[in-house]
Amino acid sequence: MILLRAGRWTTLAGLAMLAGLYVRALAFTPVERFQGAAQKIYYIHVPAAWTAMLAMAFVGGAGILYLLLRDRRFDRFAEASAEVGTAFSVVMLTTGPIWAKPIWGTWWTWDARLTFTLLLFLLFLGYLTLRGAVTEPDLRARYSAVLGICGLVLLPFIHLSVYLFRTLHPRPIVLQPARPALPPEMLLTLLLGAATMLVLYAGFVMQRMALAHRREREGHAHA
Amino acid sequence: MPDTPQNAGYMIAAYVVAGVVLVAYAVALWLRTRRTDE
Repeated sequence: MILLRAGRWTTLAGLAMLAGLYVRALAFTPVERFQGAAQKIYYIHVPAAWTAMLAMAFVGGAGILYLLLRDRRFDRFAEASAEVGTAFSVVMLTTGPIWAKPIWGTWWTWDARLTFTLLLFLLFLGYLTLRGAVTEPDLRARYSAVLGICGLVLLPFIHLSVYLFRTLHPRPIVLQPARPALPPEMLLTLLLGAATMLVLYAGFVMQRMALAHRREREGHAHA
Repeated sequence: MPDTPQNAGYMIAAYVVAGVVLVAYAVALWLRTRRTDE
């Protein structure tokens, strides 16, 4: 009950921050000269992509811990993180093409970065489908942990794809060895976006874990 | 110096889509947890 309540309040805080992000990004952040207003999509697309990748990292990490410790809480956390990660992947995969159309002239291209991020989304879907298909809890947790670890292995390829392959996708301008190549007011908006998505992620995961815990308890009660 | 492109419609579309996805998921979670309260 505490987890659920904390999750609801954190989600509310995240939604309030989201409203603040929209105001800051749309009204108080300068328009980039060469890309125009479409560049502002960056402030939601990039944080959503970071959060989706973080969610998959947690799914894989929790999978490893479950396999080592056989603690059901890690499995519940991985399940919650996968579902929430799917939502952030949807934001990433919808806002990306909406930015690409005016800037690249096409909604989608099969270059390495885009294909890897689509694969990340499909892995989330596969993970959730697997969980729905296996009814025996221990078996489900073990199979899911292995798939989650596969997702974790994919993450470095997504980050490095813009260096390893010829790709249209811009290279990182914040997560790069030199200091971020972004004017301070734009960087601040981007960081606010990242904080907003993280708070939303935390709130969603707490609620989703509380839901899984309740369902588990009900399952035991009916057995 | 090239003119700044006029593409605010794409920006608005992206912000609307992102907002709808995140708020819809928040509402869905709230409804799912509320159902288990009953």
